[in-house]
Amino acid sequence: MSQTPVLELENLSVAYDTPKGPVRAVNHVNMKIYPEEIVGLVGESGSGKSTLAYAIMRLLKGSAFVQEGTIKVLGQDMYKMSPTELRAFRWAKISMVFQSAMSALNPVMTVEQQIIDTLTSHRKGITPPQARARAEELLDLVRIDRKYLKNYPHQLSGGMRQRVVIAIAIALEPAFVIMDEPTTALDVVVQRSILDQIQEIQRHIKFSVLFISHDFSLVAELAQRVAIMYAGRFVEVTPSQRLQEAGHHHPYTEGLLRAIPRLTADEVTIEGIPGNPPDLVTLPSGCAFHPRCPVATEECKIALPPIYDTPNGLIECHRFAGEKVVQHV
Amino acid sequence: MSNATLVDVKDMVVRFPIRTGRGRSFITPVDRVSFTIDSGEVLALVGESGSGKTTIGKALLRIEEPSAGTIQVGNRDVTHIKGQALVRYRNDVQMIFQDPFGSLNPVKTIEQHLFFPLKKHQGLRGTELYDRTGELLERVGLTPVPETRIKYPHELSGGQRQRVAIARALAVNPKFLVADEPISMLDVSIRAGVLKLMNELKRDMNLSFLYITHDLASARYFGDRIMVLYGGHVMETAESSDLLRRPMHPYTKLLLAATPGNPVRQPLPETSNQAPDLLEGRKGCVFATRCPLVTDLCRNEKPPLQSLDAGHAVACHYAV
Repeated sequence: MSQTPVLELENLSVAYDTPKGPVRAVNHVNMKIYPEEIVGLVGESGSGKSTLAYAIMRLLKGSAFVQEGTIKVLGQDMYKMSPTELRAFRWAKISMVFQSAMSALNPVMTVEQQIIDTLTSHRKGITPPQARARAEELLDLVRIDRKYLKNYPHQLSGGMRQRVVIAIAIALEPAFVIMDEPTTALDVVVQRSILDQIQEIQRHIKFSVLFISHDFSLVAELAQRVAIMYAGRFVEVTPSQRLQEAGHHHPYTEGLLRAIPRLTADEVTIEGIPGNPPDLVTLPSGCAFHPRCPVATEECKIALPPIYDTPNGLIECHRFAGEKVVQHV
Repeated sequence: MSNATLVDVKDMVVRFPIRTGRGRSFITPVDRVSFTIDSGEVLALVGESGSGKTTIGKALLRIEEPSAGTIQVGNRDVTHIKGQALVRYRNDVQMIFQDPFGSLNPVKTIEQHLFFPLKKHQGLRGTELYDRTGELLERVGLTPVPETRIKYPHELSGGQRQRVAIARALAVNPKFLVADEPISMLDVSIRAGVLKLMNELKRDMNLSFLYITHDLASARYFGDRIMVLYGGHVMETAESSDLLRRPMHPYTKLLLAATPGNPVRQPLPETSNQAPDLLEGRKGCVFATRCPLVTDLCRNEKPPLQSLDAGHAVACHYAV
């Protein structure tokens, strides 16, 4: 693909300042997302998924900071923009759907006010009637009856609230939307209808998505490529149809695949990954996954593996020594 | 596996008062639900939030008292027992809660969590008490035991805490456990371990479970039978593999089509996503507002739960 990537992460590290020194939640991450592409990001809690999302939006709070590397959205460096530029850029070009729809919406504003608020603060010169018309259009797009415009968030169901949050995220037709576990708190049926809708809207107004989730099967269905994050690193980036084939993946990916009971497989056996996700303060040496890895060798304890370009995508594991090395950080 | 019926619930109703504009009325989150669980059997209860899953679990433990119907556990009627009888009843029945972060006391060590039920229900003291805690911790895979017993909950991961919760439930030597979404708050890589542990317990100790979940895939893995619940009513119940192979109720079909990992991808039928009406005295099938096949009959008459063949029952006028 020769287009300009919508998102370009280069050697990105994000750390939290702690009394024990900086703790890296995102560790040397590289990624390009192209126009109209949906990329999934899977990882356990504490693996750095949300930190990465907030870093891209330049919304890091408190002690978190970008330690190294660059984030470019549509070719522009997010961290070199002035506050005014950033304000115009954010939401118009890049927006985000937050995890909890209840806390993402203001409980004392009606749905209409919140959509109009977004429109008027990010788009200069929009008139109130235009904004109101756009709000109606947006609700149609996410298939909520227009009568709910005058309602407050608590009057809506969880699924409807999440739809409103999505409507607000796409209000200015951004080129890139980050979705941080948008369906985690919802029931399966509601989740499915929201995912169907995201896909439909995405075909319609053509934006790229970084879809963050901990649910493997969900991401595999939605995304074209899936990045698997463990202890702040992308241990594997693979085309999602490849995920169906066991073998030739990162041991962590394979562990995750074995850990989910399959809905339709003939025999149901599952196998957990032994041990617990690592503590970022005391990260294991070498490959961070080696204490839990069934095929770990001495080398894994000492050296961080390079990223290999395998037929199944980019994998950071010594098992694939012999394949082409992409880079070593 | 012995096939004696351990839990027998008949026409259980749980109702809660709510305040409406015109005074007090009642909702029935569990409406005439009947089921049995054999000893050593796992019944998986599947449904969306608000379908009454947890309320059924709580009623079985007698945290809630049913307004009508009966609950029999081991041939004893426990529907309205109180006081000492209720304390004794909880020797046989225990619960594992959804949130392992909220169900453990942050200022007590792991062994203290186990001491309490062992003293209260088993009357253990001294070295006996100490040894039994060790056994329990070992049983749920919290090793090395000497280190784990003096830890506080905040020093453990979610999966380990859920294991403590399981050990605490096992402390009274129960026959029957209610597991209320025990894995839904855990990391994916940890879930399988907890599910496997419960499977071992079921096998080795001949424990019965009511496994409450919203995830059909794990219900199929752990459950011998699955009961699908919607709006407080049983929609369909069958052997796990049978239910997934031949779902008959429109709601089960919808649920199955919506579950990620289902190879058959088709758009869901466009239905409203209104929550079911739980008010007392409503008419017709609870699922009528969302059903793609709804007719006038469904709006006016509640379909009975009919057995179709061996162990497969469905509540729909148009089940095929």
